[in-house]
Amino acid sequence: MIGASISRWTMSYFAAALAWLFVALALMVAGLGFPAVHLASPDTLVLVHVVCIGWLSLAMCGALFQFVPVLVARPLFSEKWALPALGLLTAGLVSLLAGFLGLGGRLPAWLWLLPLGAILLAGGFGLVVVDLGMTAWLRPVGPARFVLVGLASLCATVAFGAMFAFTHAGWAGSIGETILANGVPLHAIAGLGGWLTLTAMGVSYRLLSMFMLSPDVDDRKSNMTLAAGALAIAVAVVGGIVAIWLVSGLNVVLSIAAVLGLATAALYGRDLIGIFSGRKRRQLELNTRMAVLSFVSLAAAAFLGVVLVLTGAFAAHVGAFTFLAVFGWLSGLVLAKLYKIVAFLTWLEAYGPVMGRTPTPRVQDLVAEARASKWFVIYYVAVWFGTLTLVAGQPSAFRAAAAMMTIGLAGIVREVIRTRRLADVAGSLRLPNGACTPCLLCARA
Amino acid sequence: MTDYIDVDVRPILRAGGEPFSVIMSALDRLEPGQGLRLYATFKPVPLFAVMADRGFAHSAQALDAGEWEVLFTPTAPATKQSAPASGTSDFDNWPEPVVTLDNRDLDPPEPMVRILAAAEKLGPGETLSALLRREPVFLFPQLEKRGYHWLGGFSPDGATYELTVRAPS
Repeated sequence: MIGASISRWTMSYFAAALAWLFVALALMVAGLGFPAVHLASPDTLVLVHVVCIGWLSLAMCGALFQFVPVLVARPLFSEKWALPALGLLTAGLVSLLAGFLGLGGRLPAWLWLLPLGAILLAGGFGLVVVDLGMTAWLRPVGPARFVLVGLASLCATVAFGAMFAFTHAGWAGSIGETILANGVPLHAIAGLGGWLTLTAMGVSYRLLSMFMLSPDVDDRKSNMTLAAGALAIAVAVVGGIVAIWLVSGLNVVLSIAAVLGLATAALYGRDLIGIFSGRKRRQLELNTRMAVLSFVSLAAAAFLGVVLVLTGAFAAHVGAFTFLAVFGWLSGLVLAKLYKIVAFLTWLEAYGPVMGRTPTPRVQDLVAEARASKWFVIYYVAVWFGTLTLVAGQPSAFRAAAAMMTIGLAGIVREVIRTRRLADVAGSLRLPNGACTPCLLCARA
Repeated sequence: MTDYIDVDVRPILRAGGEPFSVIMSALDRLEPGQGLRLYATFKPVPLFAVMADRGFAHSAQALDAGEWEVLFTPTAPATKQSAPASGTSDFDNWPEPVVTLDNRDLDPPEPMVRILAAAEKLGPGETLSALLRREPVFLFPQLEKRGYHWLGGFSPDGATYELTVRAPS
């Protein structure tokens, strides 16, 4: 078959991801992990992995299971792998977190939980990488190339992470010790920069031009952006390993990667301006307006990074920089797009079978943008405020910002659930003959 | 299952050559029941009628960069009355479209809504044609479920997707 059907488990991934985001925010409100304790402390490791694996990676995987088949106009390599992958990722994350808690003395020190978690996560991500990779490989054009580079970066991230986990358990010898002592920035760059950022960029090209009726970004331009980004990750990972091996320090390698990363952000900005200026649709939907705030956050993170490097304060404030990149840029973009993806998939699932035979609502009839926009604004303002509190070194004010983010998120999630339940559709149109309300957590087969 | 012989005429076309004789000689070498899988740098519409006369149904599929893969399948007399699957059926003798839609400047997913609404109004065997900005990937499963056939591909400049939908006869 040519074409793309509704991904069965995307909603399950989104639900799990949002649940983990609530966990992360609860930890931040409670003052566990950074900034109350050091960045490398076990509590911070718990927080970071809840955010990066539980929230961002699960949301990204869920979106890609739907989006990659659309990009390549072919069905997913195997629809059956999505649910086992979610199970493995969840079990692996729980095991990893329990291991970190043991490392920090909050649980018995069963450090074998760390390699067990790493193996489960490698299994889950392995299924995702093969499934999405085999699908995208069929027609690697434009955005699909970003996904492929993102998946390769995910493999590098998992490899580093597994090495660290085995080292913590004392199973990786002196090589493991050396890599654990120096390689954490490489793990973070491959994960946040390669996997999450490059994939989000690739997906955003297509979603933005689709929703704004704008021509696709010229392949030569997006290839240049991707090349800069892929080179940044490759320099960081490969150069970083060589530098660790030669015991020469990571400064040179990370500086080159940072310049390339900055170039990637600038080229991406150029591509985005092209999409926005070429658009036929003047009135922007909420998801696009909110995506703009995430692009502003990316630019602000890049600016903050440059200022911190120039003033020699980057090492002291790497937490604030990462927070803005993770919650302003990545999480902001994912939340904005999730809001639209849920509405579209729910509409397609509920009304696709009867479309053309009976009057059906529009996608926009499933959402109440005026009501939802305030929750997004609360979320973004809280993120920017939180960044300032981190730069200013005010941990209690940071907890207030996290509480405000939680309120914004709760509002957004409530809107998404209402969309899924068709709660905002006018009564006469809501369930025409033959239509039924989709299930909240998965799509019907 | 039909066994297909691959014929890739893209190098000939890129070099400015004429691939017709190569295709015909490949055709002459086919065993009974074998089909032909043709790769070309454009949608070889004129060939479709020639091949139909020789007893081959075609199904064309756009590849990247404006290239096409076309399957020519021998039509066995015994299966003529059975309805083949959408997207891979024979496309001989499709009538002129009774409806033409220009959906290029509509917000997604409005193009899909309009095509399905217009398709529902077609009489048996009638066709509609539509212009779109993108390949309507979510529309195809809906058409398939309703028993429609379709044929589509991008124009050579890649800016417009031309779709023809035929109602079940």
